[in-house]
Amino acid sequence: MALLEVQHLTKQWKAGKLALDDVGFSVQSGEIVGLLGHNGAGKSTVMGIMLGMIHPDQGQVSIGGYSVQTQRAAALRQIGAIYEAAAFYDYLTGWQNLKALCSLSGYWDEAEARRIVKLVQLHDRIDAKTGTYSHGMRQRLALAQALLPQPKCLLLDEPTDGLDPEGITEFREFILRLRDEFGMTILLNSHLLGEVELMCDRCVILREGKKVYEGIVPGRGEKKVRYQLVSPDLQEGRVVCARLELKMDREGIVELPPPMEGHEVLRSLVEAAVRVESWRPHKQSLEELYLGMRRR
Amino acid sequence: MFLFLQQWRAECVKLLARKRTYLGFAAFLALEAAVLSLVHIKGATYFKTLITRQGQVFDEYYSAPTLALILLMASVFLLGGIYITLVSGDIVAKENEDGHMRMLLARPISRFRLLLVKFLTCVGYTVFLVQFIAWSAFSMGLLVTGWGGGFFAFMPELGIAAFYDWSAGMGKYFTISLSLSYAMITVAGIGFMMSCMPIKPAAATIGALSYMLIDFILRNMGFMEDYKHLLFTYHIQAAGRVLAEEPQWPVIIRSFTVLGAMNLTFFMIGFGIFDSRDLKS
Repeated sequence: MALLEVQHLTKQWKAGKLALDDVGFSVQSGEIVGLLGHNGAGKSTVMGIMLGMIHPDQGQVSIGGYSVQTQRAAALRQIGAIYEAAAFYDYLTGWQNLKALCSLSGYWDEAEARRIVKLVQLHDRIDAKTGTYSHGMRQRLALAQALLPQPKCLLLDEPTDGLDPEGITEFREFILRLRDEFGMTILLNSHLLGEVELMCDRCVILREGKKVYEGIVPGRGEKKVRYQLVSPDLQEGRVVCARLELKMDREGIVELPPPMEGHEVLRSLVEAAVRVESWRPHKQSLEELYLGMRRR
Repeated sequence: MFLFLQQWRAECVKLLARKRTYLGFAAFLALEAAVLSLVHIKGATYFKTLITRQGQVFDEYYSAPTLALILLMASVFLLGGIYITLVSGDIVAKENEDGHMRMLLARPISRFRLLLVKFLTCVGYTVFLVQFIAWSAFSMGLLVTGWGGGFFAFMPELGIAAFYDWSAGMGKYFTISLSLSYAMITVAGIGFMMSCMPIKPAAATIGALSYMLIDFILRNMGFMEDYKHLLFTYHIQAAGRVLAEEPQWPVIIRSFTVLGAMNLTFFMIGFGIFDSRDLKS
């Protein structure tokens, strides 16, 4: 069942630029989905609309069956979010910040708050003013506040921005733990392809306000089999593949429909006197997919 | 209701944790000390003349509430107005500028409710500040004149020159502190409305101060006499009418109703503007 559903979102800024053009996708319960796109592709606008901070010109977002646009409070009760840079009250302690933010949700359970603070490893500094926190600590506090209403779903907007490599690894492990141990659904907006590849089950790619891809992250439970041919006779190889009703791209990558196997194609190539330097299974990376979408 | 109070309390904690919130309190203490010293040294003769011409004993009516009222009426509108607009002008605009608003609105709370909490925090601050001014001025008056005596309520612009004994005087002083607190909420309302606009916090504060001062200047111009009921400073002045021996309650209630309606209007305009905004850095 889709926990989060984005339907036909369209948004035009005052300057006339179309920020989103009929964008729609869904996130199933228990999934980690990455929202990808270049700067200005509309990722944060989608996030903003999901949180009711930006009014769409058309379309709507529903969370757990509640429309953000018409039943905002009920919809947002299902989620925790980090939207853009985490901004805390520097003159308050981490604990006071959490309390102030949670008061808006009508939820405050001191024992649960202590548990979450420990989970994000901030228990040693939670009584210090957030003005003294490092960037990584602020991100962890942001995560704690997002987790405190005990949400079904987390919306994370560039959560690893500005973190050092250790911080990013720590964050990734934490997110995976949330999904594996608590079954949490997560929508992650990021431009770090490597992170999305390591964390997400599926991804949505936006380009200039339009959705250009929605599907599994390459390499994750993928059923398609791809092989790559390395040969000086790539053109001849392409002709052989065409005879087998296969399409070879300019990098020599061929997608085999089941139940066809790689050795069958290799035999045809060799029989057609194509010089084969290498013929091996090819795993498409997210980067290839992403750049491929950009080239379209 | 309990949740609303919890949210209001959290907003008050945030407000009180900021150093600039206390600027107004510190400034008033300094002003009160300076004005009281001047009145005590230079102004006593003037008051002696006024009181004795009314056939009263100067030593009886040169008292803590008399001195406190001078301070209150001289400072609460202009200086108090500055600090009230500073806080109310910041309450939404500064949070938005600092990115706090995005954190707050990522929570399941409606914009209306969030703004109502913030507006009521401005109301709380205004009442607290005016009460602080009133009672710190009274305390300083006590230091100068000691406990006891009468209360000479003198507001020439409203035609009030009344003499009360200590207990009646204290009652009147308490009433004016409350009526002024209520009247000054309108200044907070203007600051709040400006704060909801897509402008910087400083611009919101300056905008609110400009509104207040333009209104004040217009009221003091002769040709506005026929239109003074349109000016909020005219209605704020009505707060002083409670000091009369026989207050004109219909006039006071009318002005206070107008101020209440203005507060509601400022809140709704502010909400309308804020609600239509897209919040994005």
